[in-house]
Amino acid sequence: MINLSHVSLELAGKTILSDISLSIKKGEIAIILGPSGAGKSSILKIILGLWRPDTGKVFIEGKNIAGIPEKEIMPVRSKMGIVFQANALFDSLNVEDNVAFFLREHSKLNSKEIRAKVAEILSFVNLKGTEKIYVDQLSGGMKKRVAIARALSFDPEIILYDEPTTGLDPINSKSILDLIKQVSDRGATSVIVTHILNDAISIGDTLSVINDGSLIQTGTVRDMLNSENQFVRDFFYEVYQDAALFKK
Amino acid sequence: MTGIAHSFKLKIYGLQEYTLMLVDLFKGLSTFWKTWADAVNEMYWIGARAFMPVLLGGIFVGIILALETGHQLDHFGAKTLVGRTVSLGMIRELGPVITGLLLAARTGAKNASELGAMQISEQIDALRAFGTSPIQKLVIPRTIAALVMFLPLTAIADISGILSGMIVSKLSLSIDTSFFWHSALSSLLMKDIFVGFIKPFFFAFFISTISCYYGFSTRGGTVALGKTTINAVVYSSLIVLVLDFIFTKVVWELL
Repeated sequence: MINLSHVSLELAGKTILSDISLSIKKGEIAIILGPSGAGKSSILKIILGLWRPDTGKVFIEGKNIAGIPEKEIMPVRSKMGIVFQANALFDSLNVEDNVAFFLREHSKLNSKEIRAKVAEILSFVNLKGTEKIYVDQLSGGMKKRVAIARALSFDPEIILYDEPTTGLDPINSKSILDLIKQVSDRGATSVIVTHILNDAISIGDTLSVINDGSLIQTGTVRDMLNSENQFVRDFFYEVYQDAALFKK
Repeated sequence: MTGIAHSFKLKIYGLQEYTLMLVDLFKGLSTFWKTWADAVNEMYWIGARAFMPVLLGGIFVGIILALETGHQLDHFGAKTLVGRTVSLGMIRELGPVITGLLLAARTGAKNASELGAMQISEQIDALRAFGTSPIQKLVIPRTIAALVMFLPLTAIADISGILSGMIVSKLSLSIDTSFFWHSALSSLLMKDIFVGFIKPFFFAFFISTISCYYGFSTRGGTVALGKTTINAVVYSSLIVLVLDFIFTKVVWELL
């Protein structure tokens, strides 16, 4: 479904990504895990075609989008929704207009159909009745739900999440993770970038650990726990500790 | 030396990015009607809300022009020429320039700070991610709104300047209103009005596009936003003065 082959990226003379090769299967929840500044969000922007890699290929459903013009990326991009780290909601619009944005700009639905679709999505993300509220009046957790609702508005096959639980309290974090799981159960492929180990372990089918722009290891949680790589062992240190406590 | 070379390289790169933005803008003009509602909204903010500053700017420039020239011309017994000086000065030069500078500050700061904040909060990336061109959605409506609104605003500055000049000439210099009007209208040529009214279109285009470019180029946080807003206002104001010089020296002399 998503295939990154030897992708490298430099920005302002600094290496952001170095020879990243990654494969994500249809329907899975893939986690890209790593410390802040490791290049995780850059991978999402490259998958979405917002950034172009300097070298390497980016295949989305078999089509290489690296180096093709913006116009040709659009049909591929319309299969992907994204939830930005800081939500990137349009703050001059209310909840309904944010969620309806894509539909109004690009779909052939009439306004009545769009309203119905928005109501259905808002109900799914548990935000019924918030249609007319401006997004800056919402709490952090609610904003994240609106961002997820906006990403779901056009039924994308792939949803990209950039640090979906960062800055949220544990209860809101859990409800957002539950929501991501529900979205995945509807058949969407999910790619989640996070530095929060618990999130990664609780919902990830596969984990890819990156550091300093390089892919360190890809595998399941079990693969990570059995890893010989020192960085992976350091990153999963908490889990080893918990396991040791559990044994005691 | 390396620092100067790097700075020069960045300026050239910036010019290239600005030119590419203009190319996209011209390409997108064929479908500008899609963003007509946004353009009307911008017309309100850029145009209608700028009415009062432009009116006041015109009034005070007209008063100062009438007083300063009136006192000087009085030494030569030619104070009846005040009307001519005020009308020519306002229509050909000061009306468009004062409006241009006020709008460079107002519209320039508005565009750069709005688009810069959208850039920082990833809203521009979100537009692109949802298949919408930021040029089409944000730059074209602002530029069309500026092109439509700058001319009437300039006319307001011209008229208010001439009327305030007339009132102050009557009250302070004891120049009869009919003398003032006769002098003001008889000296005006068609090419004066043409040059005075063509300037706002060029000012509008460059103020709008330069400030939008600086908004898009914002990288980092609030400090960067402050810097790009300053740059937008400074370069928009400078382009007003440069264009005014070009129109006065080249275009008016060619006509």
